Amino acid sequence: MRLRTPILALSLLGMTVSTVSSQSLAPGESGNQVPPARFLSAVDNQGPEEAERLTLGMWVSAGNVTTYAIGNSWNDWVLWLVYEKLREPSPYVGRAEDWLATSIEQVSDDARVWEITLREGIRWHDGTPFTAEDVAFTFEYYREGPANRWTHHASSVPRMVGIEVLDEYTVRLTSENPMPNFDRITAADLPIIQRAQWEGVEDPRSFTDIGIGTGPYRLVEYEADRFYRFEANEDYWRGAPVVQHLDLVMIRDPQTMFTALQTGEIDGAARPVPPELVLEWLDEPDLEMVSSPTLWGAWLDINVGRPPFDDREVRRAVTLAVDTEPMLDRIMLGQGQPGTHAWPHVDSFWTSPDLHAPYNPDEARTILDERGFVDADGDGFRDWPDGSPLVWDLRIASNQPLFLRAAEMIEEQLAIVGLRVAIDTVDPATLSALWRTRDFDLRIADITPHGIADQDMLIILYRGDASREIVEDAEKAEIVNRWLEAETREERLAISYELQEYQTRYPNRVMLWYPDTVFAYRWEAYDNYVPSAGYGIFHKYSFLPDEARDGIVDPMLSN
Amino acid sequence: MVWARVLSAYAAVLLVALTINFALPRIAPGDPLSYLLPEDVLAEMTPEAEARVLAEFGLDAPWPEQFWRYAVGVVRGDLGTSVRFGEPVWDVVLSRLPWTLLLMGWALAVSAVLGTVLGILAARFRGQKTDIITTVAVLFLGSAPVFWVAMLLITVFSARLGWLPSFGAAPLTAFPGSAAYYWGVAEHLVMPVTALAIAQTAGVWLTARWAMSVALGRDYVTFARAKGAPERRVFFVHAFRNACLPIYTNVMIGIGGLLGGALVVETVFSYPGIGSLILEGVQARDYNLLQGVFLVATLSVVLANLVADLSYPLLDPRARR
Repeated sequence: MRLRTPILALSLLGMTVSTVSSQSLAPGESGNQVPPARFLSAVDNQGPEEAERLTLGMWVSAGNVTTYAIGNSWNDWVLWLVYEKLREPSPYVGRAEDWLATSIEQVSDDARVWEITLREGIRWHDGTPFTAEDVAFTFEYYREGPANRWTHHASSVPRMVGIEVLDEYTVRLTSENPMPNFDRITAADLPIIQRAQWEGVEDPRSFTDIGIGTGPYRLVEYEADRFYRFEANEDYWRGAPVVQHLDLVMIRDPQTMFTALQTGEIDGAARPVPPELVLEWLDEPDLEMVSSPTLWGAWLDINVGRPPFDDREVRRAVTLAVDTEPMLDRIMLGQGQPGTHAWPHVDSFWTSPDLHAPYNPDEARTILDERGFVDADGDGFRDWPDGSPLVWDLRIASNQPLFLRAAEMIEEQLAIVGLRVAIDTVDPATLSALWRTRDFDLRIADITPHGIADQDMLIILYRGDASREIVEDAEKAEIVNRWLEAETREERLAISYELQEYQTRYPNRVMLWYPDTVFAYRWEAYDNYVPSAGYGIFHKYSFLPDEARDGIVDPMLSN
Repeated sequence: MVWARVLSAYAAVLLVALTINFALPRIAPGDPLSYLLPEDVLAEMTPEAEARVLAEFGLDAPWPEQFWRYAVGVVRGDLGTSVRFGEPVWDVVLSRLPWTLLLMGWALAVSAVLGTVLGILAARFRGQKTDIITTVAVLFLGSAPVFWVAMLLITVFSARLGWLPSFGAAPLTAFPGSAAYYWGVAEHLVMPVTALAIAQTAGVWLTARWAMSVALGRDYVTFARAKGAPERRVFFVHAFRNACLPIYTNVMIGIGGLLGGALVVETVFSYPGIGSLILEGVQARDYNLLQGVFLVATLSVVLANLVADLSYPLLDPRARR
C-alpha cells in the first residue's frame, strides 16, 4: 500500500476526523468531509503496483452485472467496473468530477432545466460510440421501465418531465420539481446504459446477456453465485487498467472467505474484516489491512405505523433511553463511531454538523410517565395506559451475531426506563420483508451509503414512510414540501438540516453505530489499492492508472 | 399388478409432494419483491408497479392460477424463471445438479462402504476393544454438526496445513477438460465429501452393526457352524447376506439426508450444487427456483425409494413373494 500522506497518527485511531469549515464554502455545501482512511497493519510492505491477474472474494452475488441485478451497496462496486456515470465518484462526497460528461450546466433559474455536454470519443465495449442518445435513453428507460435501485433519479426524486437530445453530444433534462443538486447527486449516481442493448428489453430481470458498458473492465464470463471473470478494457478512455484480469469468486461463508485469504487462494476479500479478526491480523506478515470510510451503519428501526410509535414523543423517549457509546465498545470493540443522530451518516457531506441525540433516561421516564405508560401491575415494567402489559418485539436477522448483542444491550437499556422488549430472531429474508409487512415494533438492520449518505434519499425514505405507514405528521410534511420546491443548493441544504434536526428529535430510526470498515488483501499479489468513500478499497479506482484515480479518499493515515 | 400398485402409490406421493413444494415457499414470511428491490424503491412503489415486477416471473397471478401454471409447467418441463438468477429454473438446476451428484455420489459410496465395514467389524468383535473404540469414534463424529466438521476440516487442512482448497468446486484458472482441471475438481471434492460422509457413516454403521449382530445370533448361523462351514463363509455368506437388506435400505433412505447435509456443506465450502441453491432460493424467496429444486429433491428421494423397492427381490428372495 502506498500511503499518499504518511502521518504517524496512532492517536487518531477511532477518532472522527470530519471537519466543518465555515471558510471557503460554496453555497449549499456543508463542509463535512469523510474521515481519512487508515493503514492498520504493523508493517507497510511494498508490493507490486501492477498485476496480470487478481482473484478477489465477494459475498453478495452481482447477477449478470446490470443495474437490475445489483441493488445494494454491498456489491455495487462490481457494477462500476463495467458501467460509468456522468460525474464521479459518488453522491456521498462533496465533490464530483466530470466523467462521461464534460459539463453539466443549470440553464433555468428554478433549477428544473439542465444541459449535459458529453465527452466525445468514448466507446462502448462493443466498439460503438457513446452518444447523447444513450444518456437520453437511460433517463427514459429508468423513468418508464421497471423500477430498480437507480430509477428514482428519473421517476421520483427528481422526476424528469422533459428529455431532449440537442445534438450528438448534448442532452437537456427538465424535471417536475427543482433539482439544484442534479450535478452532485443524480449525475454522480446514475449508471448510463447502452441504448442499443437495452432498447426493447421489457423484462430486465430475466435479461441475462452480458452488460455492455464504457468502464475499465469487460465482463467476459460469469456464473452468478460462483464466479465472474473480467478483463481490462485496453481502450479505456482514462488509460488501460493496471490489473489485466480480475476474477471474482463467490464465497458466502465469512470464515471460509478469510481462511481463503490467509491461504492465498484469493488475493483480497471484498468483505469487511470482523472486529475481532482485525486485532488478530495486525501483525499478519502476508496481509495488509486498511480501514476505509464506507459510510455504512447499523440502526434501530421503529415502526411508526404501529402504536404507540405513531406518537412522536414516545419515539423520542426511545431515543433518549438508548446509549450507543457502550455498544460501540462492547460490540464493535471500539472500531467505529457511536450513533449520534437518526440520519444521515455522521460523515456524509449532507449532514448538519450540529446533530446530536442525547442519552437521557430521566427525560425518557418523564415523557413515558406523561403519556400514561406507567407500571400498573408492579412487575417493574411499564404498561399501556389501559393497564395491559406493554412488550415490544425487537427483531433481528439470524445471520447477524453483532445485532443479537446489540439487541441484548437495547433490551437492558430500555429496561432501565421500565420498557420491556422481546428479542425475536428471524431469517434474513423475513426481516427484509418486515419493511413491507410492517409486522414489527423494533428491528435492527444495516444501512448502506445509498440510503444514509445521499440527501435525496431522506426525502424518498420519508415519502415511503408517509405513503405506507399512514402517519399524519404535518410538521414533517411541510418541511419536505419546502425541500421539494427549493430552487438553490443553499436553500435545500438549509431545509435538509431542518429535516435532520426534526428527525433527530423525533426519529423513526435510531442510529446505533457507524462501523470502521476494514478490508484485507495480500500485498505480495498486488499492493496498489486506494480507498474511496462509500466503496472501501475494492472498486475500479484501485485498478486504474494513477492519473485516473479521481475518486479516492486522501490522505491516508498510517499507524 | 404389484408393479402398477407400486407405481400408482409413487405417483400419489409425487402429487402430494408437488403441492407441498408449491405451498411451502409461499407460506413462509417474506416475498421476492423484498429481495429484488431495496427498501427505498419499495417505499414509493404502487401496487401496480409491484405487480409489474412480479409479472416478470409469473408471480403476479392469484395462487390457484400460479399452481395450475406450475403443474402444467412440470409436465412440459418449464418451471418458470428464477427470481434470483433471471434464468429459466431448469437451466439453473441443471447447471448445479452435476456438482451435487458428484458430491453426494462420493459421499454415499464412502459412507456406505465405511459404515458397512466398520459395522461388520464392530459386530464381529462385539463387546471387545475394537467394538468400543469404533462405537465411540463413529458416534462422536456422527453426532457432530456437519457445519462444525466442515469448518474443522477447513481450519486443519486449508488454513494450517495448506493441503486442500477451502472453497469452490474447480480451479478457475485451469482449462475445463484438462488434467489440471480434473485434479483440481478432485482436490475440491475431498473435504466436502469427507464432511458429508462423516455425518452419514454413523447411521449406516449403526444399522450394519445391529443387522450383523442379529444375523450372527440366528439359528441358521448356528446351524451353519454346526455343520462345519468355514467361519469366513458363515460370516459373509450366511450372516452378511441376510444383514444386507436393512443396510441397503438405510443407505437408500440416506439420500434424502445427504441432500440436507449438502445444503450446509455446499454453503460452507461455497460448492455450487443444489444444496447451496436451496439457500439462495430461500434467501430470495425465489418461489420458482425453490419449486424446481424441491421437485428435483423429491424426484431423487422417490426414485431412490423406487429403486430400493424394486431391487429388494434381487437381494432377498423372500421379497419376491
